[in-house]
Amino acid sequence: MGKNRPIKFRILELFLDGKEHWNYEIVSKIQEEYNLRGNFQRDSINFDILELASGGMLKDVEQKVDEEGIYKKDFLLHKYIITDFGKVRGSDACLRYV
Amino acid sequence: MDLKALKAQESKRKISKGYMWALFCAIFWGIWYLPGTVVWVLNPFDEMYGVIAGTSGDAVSLVVTAALITAFNALTVMLALMLWNGVLGKFGELGRTLKEFHPCSKWFFLASIFGGPIAILGSFMAMGFIGGAFAAVAALLYPVIGSVLAYYWYGEKISKRAAIGIVVIILGGITIFGGGVITEIAAGDVPWIGYLGGLMAAAGWGIEGAIAGKGLDISEPDVGLTLRFLGENIIWWIIIVPLLAIVGYPMYSFAFQAFEPLTLLVLIFAGITFGFCYVCWYKSFPLIGVGRGQGIGNLYGLCAIIFIFLFFGDVPQWTILLGGALCVAGSFIMFTEEAGELETLRGE
Repeated sequence: MGKNRPIKFRILELFLDGKEHWNYEIVSKIQEEYNLRGNFQRDSINFDILELASGGMLKDVEQKVDEEGIYKKDFLLHKYIITDFGKVRGSDACLRYV
Repeated sequence: MDLKALKAQESKRKISKGYMWALFCAIFWGIWYLPGTVVWVLNPFDEMYGVIAGTSGDAVSLVVTAALITAFNALTVMLALMLWNGVLGKFGELGRTLKEFHPCSKWFFLASIFGGPIAILGSFMAMGFIGGAFAAVAALLYPVIGSVLAYYWYGEKISKRAAIGIVVIILGGITIFGGGVITEIAAGDVPWIGYLGGLMAAAGWGIEGAIAGKGLDISEPDVGLTLRFLGENIIWWIIIVPLLAIVGYPMYSFAFQAFEPLTLLVLIFAGITFGFCYVCWYKSFPLIGVGRGQGIGNLYGLCAIIFIFLFFGDVPQWTILLGGALCVAGSFIMFTEEAGELETLRGE
């Protein structure tokens, strides 16, 4: 699918492998793929993940404090997994169903 | 700080951010009734109303003039939103989302049908025939429709507290509409078309919110919103305005006359306030849910009454004040939920 589809579609697609992913892994992958640099874009993509989680498509399964500053020092890092609802919405959006 | 405390802090921050967006929506939305009311006494709309009323009667003239005003409102909102997307650097995402018609952008176009020619047109009709305060307060019923639709359609939870809030809002609505109609029946002249406008506003916005939610959960709100107004501009400028011109109303001659400084200034003011009220509204939905976002956004009724009083010196009828107070109280009942209940908005 790649970078010519909306960012949230791509985020869902990355999660459709059914595995758990940390938010910073997804954010940096999207930043790289869509060539979105800077902190503003980073936070904007993280907000997309937050919205997907609030919408019940991703589930927050684990948190840890970012002590080393991988993403944002002293903030929470979240690990998410796709929910059944997320898979349904993902397939609505014509994504590859894993 | 330990993990648990940090988690609680983050959840709180997220929910308060959602409520903050909804509150900003209320303020911008409330202000919008100022240019919305003023524009009726400005040319070319004042003159247009007189000309069409002379041949087709007051009711038809009101609807046709409201259509042109709403079309211009959609245009200036679109301009404000394009600027907003430009500042956020989201033109790329706008193009990507627009192309996803089937899974995503069709919902925004569908939402624009209910938002534009039903809700916003209805609001202008209510403003023109009854007044800004009534128009604002009548539309306060929209979260009831939004919450019920969101519940049946995509299973968004309605807690007991939210349900109580909804009942209080409905009581407020009955007071607003019932009180006005009874007073006017006694006076022998009921401006039914204004009341119809008020109902259109409430139903249209409630349905719009629920439909837009279908596309919003897989797109970015700033982008989704711009597409929803792109849809509304297409409806007005490509379908309705040309159709009204073909039927014989002088749409274009009056439309060109709108390009005078004062009228343009008022229209742009309407565009900016309305555009940003929508930005804030849509941003709150993913954080606190459609029903709650609409509930807090409801405070716009109070804001509108205050702004109308400050700028025009109008004190509304007591039934509007009482009904409005009930609606705002209902919003607060929905608003003061425990944060824990909000952590997951949908059943799994």
